[in-house]
Amino acid sequence: MDTSTIRSIKELPPEENMLPGTAACAGCGGLLTLRYCLKALGDKIVIVNAAGCFTLLTIYPFSPFRNSWLYTAMACAPAGAQGVRDALDILIKKGKLDPEENLKVVVLSGDGSAYDMALSSTSGAIYRNLDFYYICYDNEAYGNTGFQHSGASPFGSRTGTTPPGKEVPVGSQLQKKNLFDIWNSHKPPYIATVSPAYPVDLMNKFKKAEQFKGPKLFISHIPCPPGWGFDPSRSVRLAKLSVETGLWPLKESVHGEVEHTYVPKKFKPVEEYLKEQERFSHLFKPVRQEDALKSIQEMVDEYWKKHELLP
Amino acid sequence: MLRLRFHGRGGQGAKVASRVLGTAAFLDGYNAQDFPLYGAERRGAPITAFTRISRDDIMERGLVSDPDIVIVMDETLLSDPQAMPLSGLKKGGIVFVNTPLSPLETKEEYGIEDHVITLDITKVSLDMIGKSVLSSLAAGVASRIAGIGEEALKGALEKELSGIISDRDLLGKNTEAALYCYNTLVPVQVKTAETIREKENVITLPFETARVSSPAINATGNTPLRRTGNWRVFRPVWNYDICTRCMTCVSRCPEGCIRLNEDGYPYADYDNCKGCLVCAEECPVKAITKVREIHSRSEEGDQ
Ligand SMILES: Cc1ncc(C[n+]2csc(CCOP(=O)(O)OP(=O)(O)O)c2C)c(N)n1
Ligand code: SF4
Ligand code: SF4
Ligand code: SF4
Repeated sequence: MDTSTIRSIKELPPEENMLPGTAACAGCGGLLTLRYCLKALGDKIVIVNAAGCFTLLTIYPFSPFRNSWLYTAMACAPAGAQGVRDALDILIKKGKLDPEENLKVVVLSGDGSAYDMALSSTSGAIYRNLDFYYICYDNEAYGNTGFQHSGASPFGSRTGTTPPGKEVPVGSQLQKKNLFDIWNSHKPPYIATVSPAYPVDLMNKFKKAEQFKGPKLFISHIPCPPGWGFDPSRSVRLAKLSVETGLWPLKESVHGEVEHTYVPKKFKPVEEYLKEQERFSHLFKPVRQEDALKSIQEMVDEYWKKHELLP
Repeated sequence: MLRLRFHGRGGQGAKVASRVLGTAAFLDGYNAQDFPLYGAERRGAPITAFTRISRDDIMERGLVSDPDIVIVMDETLLSDPQAMPLSGLKKGGIVFVNTPLSPLETKEEYGIEDHVITLDITKVSLDMIGKSVLSSLAAGVASRIAGIGEEALKGALEKELSGIISDRDLLGKNTEAALYCYNTLVPVQVKTAETIREKENVITLPFETARVSSPAINATGNTPLRRTGNWRVFRPVWNYDICTRCMTCVSRCPEGCIRLNEDGYPYADYDNCKGCLVCAEECPVKAITKVREIHSRSEEGDQ
């Protein structure tokens, strides 16, 4: 077990466990996150993938992975993972599989699945202390089917099903669910939020998680060029901005104890992040929706105040 | 009846193009149908859309498997086995290709026997709109070839685009670019025979049991064969005089397609670089520039 930490991108493992040529959109922040995750996890894994953008990475007869992959319905990837884990355990116990050949079981899902449809099956898996990794790439909507509103869509965003209009100019009126806290209330051994703009932080979190048996859960906030409406080249920049504005706190929880792994020295105003995206453009034109902008900033400030980390 | 098929890549606007054409035809007094075909598509994947135009009632439904006119919005689709834009094209049919090549060069390059019309609408779009979104331009091209009137096209652009584009300025630029394409093309007579070419075989798939129809992939890491480099509009080009070999671009590439040469300098595998340009944006010393991709002329560079 190697839990040594790395300090710079030069120390990222050079091996690529996911190859190019996938159907993901150019500049997909989720793909970048997954590339790093697979560097950390290695190739002796099996991915159990809930329906979403990333089930399209593997389309017959092609697979970008160096490892095995299984496709499940949106609601049940953690249940699928339980089946795979049990099968591996039984085969090893019966001597039909060399323990050397054991695989890590990894669930991969979008936010629609993680925050909404699969929440109960995930809760069940954490409750049963299933030994698995869970990676949620959170593009804040049901990306694959047209960017509809999900439990992860933030207040004020335009989605396929929350178009800003005369009646509701702000777009989505709901607040993003706090999946980290929902998971944390189950007290699993390890939970982390990560970002594709902070690969060193991401990598070290996976290394740390390795020492725990049981559920190891990761949520990555990921920029989605077509859904969020920005030029693909700005993908990493936007991921960085979501962290630097304080909107996406980088943190981890070990057996329920939360610690922030990165606190910006000076928080950028959330507007800097919002104004770069088409899905928030209605907050700025034709008229500035001051109340909405203010309440988004306040929400961020309150979070950091609560954690006594606001400078 | 005229049957058209649009072939584009997700995000280019094939669906909207077919819709604008359908509405234009309708405004010009025809009956019309338009609809897209989505599979498991993402931005960049091959997309097909269809339009039927007729003076009579249109009783036909379903995909257009024997088009009179094919609009190819991305020329790399011509050699894509997933797309096969020319399949089923009727004898005497018309093929429009978005390419900087001349019709004759295009015929030779891709071995096309039919009437070929070309225009570099990507360039028109970059020059006139500022980005490569081709829906209105392809609709302009298709309207001209299908013989739809200019006023009807204008009306259709206003009607269909105002629902998608809130920025009036951008809408104006789209209309201008569409009309530019419309007026650049010389009107043609579409006279197709009712037959499709011999050897064109339409494949019907039998119903298969789950074990057969959802097979396992027993290979790993074979997606590089899909050559998603065809999705590019711009390519990143490295300047080793400035590059400090800091590895930022290598790390930030979402595709993981930047490698290092013997001297430790990065280069992209152009077969699979999608041209997102995250690398160029993230390079701390701006050693990467963005260069317009012209696929048909850059095969050497693609290797
Ligand atoms: C039970 C169920 N309902 C609907 C669908 C159709 N569907 C496929 S992918 C998808 C969107 C998934 O969204 P998300 O989990 O956020 O992942 P993303 O598409 O953003 O990658 C939907 C609704 C499905 N596969 N299963
Ligand atoms: S829609 Fe968004 S999340 Fe899905 S593949 Fe495209 S960029 Fe990635
Ligand atoms: S343009 Fe995008 S895909 Fe191509 S090398 Fe740069 S980061 Fe990678
Ligand atoms: S990011 Fe720029 S300087 Fe760094 S290796 Fe890439 S090209 Fe060179």
